[in-house]
Amino acid sequence: MYPSHVQLFITCLGDQFFSTTLKNMVKVLERVGVQPLFPAGQTCCGQPLYNNGFNEQTRPIARHFLEVFGQHKAPIVAPSASCVAMVRHHYPELFPEGTYEHALAMEVAHRTFEFTEFLVRVLQVADVGASYPHRVTYHASCHGLREMGLKAEAKVLLSHVRGLELVPLNEEEVCCGFGGAFSVTYPMVSQAMMENKVRNIIASGADTVVITEPGCLMNIAGGLRKAGSKVRAIHIIDILASTEGAL
Amino acid sequence: MSRTKVLQAIRDALNHTRGEATGYPTISPFRTQGSLDAEAQLFFNELNRLSANGFEVTLGDIKPHLEALVHGERIFKATIWETPLLQRLQIASHLRALGVDVEPPSASKYDIAQCDLGITEVDFMLPETGTLGLYSRKDKPRVVSLLPRVHLAIATPAALRPDLYQVLEEAKAHHYLVLITGPSRTADIELTVTLGVHGPQRLIVWLLRED
Amino acid sequence: MSVSQPAYIHFGEYTQHVPEGIPQAVRQATQRFATNRAAVIADFPQWEQLRELGSAIRLHTIENLDHYLERLELAVQNQGGHVYWASTADEAREAVLKIAKSHRVALAVKAKSMATEEIGLNEALESENIRVVETDLGEYIIQLAGSGPSHIIVPAVHMRKEEIAALFSQKLGIEVPADPNKLTQVARQVLRERFLSATMGISGANFLVAETGTLVMVTNEGNGRMCTTLPDVHVAVVGIDKVVPDWKALSVLLKLLTRSATGQKLSTYIQFISGPRREEGEFGPKEFHLILLDNGRSKILKDPIGRQVLKCIRCGACANTCPVYQNVGGFAYGWFISGPIGAIFTPQILGPKVARELPFASTLCGACADVCPVKIPIPTILRHLRQRVVEGNGGIPSSIPGYLRLMAAFASGVLSNPWLYRFGSRFLGVFNRFEDRGWLTRMPFPFNRWTQVRPLPRFSNDFRAWWSRRELKSKGNDQ
Repeated sequence: MYPSHVQLFITCLGDQFFSTTLKNMVKVLERVGVQPLFPAGQTCCGQPLYNNGFNEQTRPIARHFLEVFGQHKAPIVAPSASCVAMVRHHYPELFPEGTYEHALAMEVAHRTFEFTEFLVRVLQVADVGASYPHRVTYHASCHGLREMGLKAEAKVLLSHVRGLELVPLNEEEVCCGFGGAFSVTYPMVSQAMMENKVRNIIASGADTVVITEPGCLMNIAGGLRKAGSKVRAIHIIDILASTEGAL
Repeated sequence: MSRTKVLQAIRDALNHTRGEATGYPTISPFRTQGSLDAEAQLFFNELNRLSANGFEVTLGDIKPHLEALVHGERIFKATIWETPLLQRLQIASHLRALGVDVEPPSASKYDIAQCDLGITEVDFMLPETGTLGLYSRKDKPRVVSLLPRVHLAIATPAALRPDLYQVLEEAKAHHYLVLITGPSRTADIELTVTLGVHGPQRLIVWLLRED
Repeated sequence: MSVSQPAYIHFGEYTQHVPEGIPQAVRQATQRFATNRAAVIADFPQWEQLRELGSAIRLHTIENLDHYLERLELAVQNQGGHVYWASTADEAREAVLKIAKSHRVALAVKAKSMATEEIGLNEALESENIRVVETDLGEYIIQLAGSGPSHIIVPAVHMRKEEIAALFSQKLGIEVPADPNKLTQVARQVLRERFLSATMGISGANFLVAETGTLVMVTNEGNGRMCTTLPDVHVAVVGIDKVVPDWKALSVLLKLLTRSATGQKLSTYIQFISGPRREEGEFGPKEFHLILLDNGRSKILKDPIGRQVLKCIRCGACANTCPVYQNVGGFAYGWFISGPIGAIFTPQILGPKVARELPFASTLCGACADVCPVKIPIPTILRHLRQRVVEGNGGIPSSIPGYLRLMAAFASGVLSNPWLYRFGSRFLGVFNRFEDRGWLTRMPFPFNRWTQVRPLPRFSNDFRAWWSRRELKSKGNDQ
């Protein structure tokens, strides 16, 4: 079943820091024949509050999300597995069974997808006509990997990007130290973990590290910048939209 | 009384929240027995990986192997289980003939602690892990496989079991069992593995084939 | 060192100043064990099946804990052992002291036991002039040093061999080169003398089998065997969560435990002790005393999510895989149990007043849950405990400061209101004035806690405006 439209769930971090990535998400979707819709009333999934135990304060945010995205029946697509995991796994937990909100949460949860998941598993598309002739290494974001079971999707998409050489990353699946509020609650530990990830990335020999999660991306990009490294940290969507070096 | 207090606290905590109690799963052995030769080979391979030694012996091998052991490991004092098999093999008299002082297992713990070599039989052998299982009895005291620096275990094929499952099924009727997998070891100092911390430093297993 | 109960655990403060050398030493240990674990599991194709069985066995047991404890007590008594029930750490210490005094014990030897550290047993005995010697090599070293454990399995891994040689020289009066083998031999000789002269052996247990009243001890050095074979009296202090229904369960749990802990198929020595010795000649203790320790575990049972922590079989795999733990070591967790399991056990026993920082000591990456042999959903429990810290639980009020509650309410208000949210976004764009080639290196509170570690990317939030223009253009084209 190939949906004709999707609703863009741009995420609060995407909204604030990654407008280029969001524009690229639109570009790629149109390239594969899916029309994006953008419900402008959206704000945030509420994950930062929920993950820190503020369930009470998360509910109004979740209600708002469900209201905004519940209007239209099209699938919802986000450039962030952690936000999708929040909607899919945790929204139903926020509302008692039997309530209208719970039913709505269940309904919306079933049609909310992370971007690579959407391309590979829903559209069953692996080649989006991208070209990015660089040596690239891949960081496996924790929520995508463990909460959503996304292991191969990104790599399948990268394997079809023309000119792209994928090199292994040591400790690929070890957390980068972002952890949402963790990065500001325990900054020294977050720093140690970030520096470890940056060391591994530099040692990989790649000129680009590709990341599927805005939070990790901010953390790692900042870390590379601080280390004075020329390695570029970008979102996978930016690679998928790229036609660099295409003939 | 605390017994009542603890049990009541548990019951109070559980009674409203037992929910759909998790059933007890069906548990079966994970491994089946191979041929005697294959099992023996697997056992010795595992033993090697544990920095222990093992090989098959026949009746005629016993005396020369004992001599090699006594000289190679500098054995001056030994103690031995007084079980029918070990008596039939005349281990104690062989040792005395080699000039080794043999303490009976009924000696004091101090005397047994002076022994360089402890010789036992084996109640179980697990090839998958290179493990020996030893019961505890008056004629099979625990200290013989614990205090001396060298532990020699003489096994027969009857001790072989396919899986830990079978060993445990049989052992539960007994009041003591120790499973021994290699010599005593630790990595507590800078992660460097050292042998012979408190238990034996050397473990040798002979599999007696009388067929 | 055993601290019976810390007053407050300053996880955050500790992590701001982790002593140099700790992360390196801890990481060496964790990587060694994690690598060995991975290798031995790769060799075991039914590993996931085994985990599922282990999880079901443990869950079933804690859901029927009263039943199995009663069976256990009866079985131990049938084997000729004595059972004591300790509701609190105090009662457990009292029970051990009473046994020690009635036997006029002057020297006791102790095998590694986290339960005895939990109740601060050593101090209690020493204060009554009963000497207690730790016999696990790592524990012996830190006892001599007066230090705490930096890792669950190798508690002295943070100490270099030169330090240990100096320690032996100072405390034992024995000169020995800084060589692990030679140091080990010294410990062997010294401790052997203690084993032979002690009149009481103290241990914990890895499992207690209800079916036959059997205590199971999983060790590598042989000190566990010494402590429970040579002295006339054996006292075991064991948490009530260690009970398992039968020996079949052991065939699963033992395979899970040693592989997960150190990557060994089985540890060097596993003892199955059912009561005291039956004949004098076999050696072994004349008397066996089992102290069942509650100390707050029964309280944990009330919470269906939190109580899954009681499934734990103390393998340490979670700590070995946790990147937070690797960077801070065991001391940061403030009590005898550290790593991810410490972060969910300690708060439930000691409460939020003491341990409110621990549930937040994680990025929720989930690596621990992947390796837990009994499938404890650690990230779920961490989040659950965070909620309890924030929102309170039962009679306990919220444990977070008022200003944080205020900030959360503010965030909630803004994030659930699209107009406030969009207004706030426009406001944030102002900070780009201070950008340095695409990066913001200095920001006010709360963003400064980010920028003190690494720069923030410049705000790039023109997507909505871009989209609106696009929509307008396409509508214009349509007309």
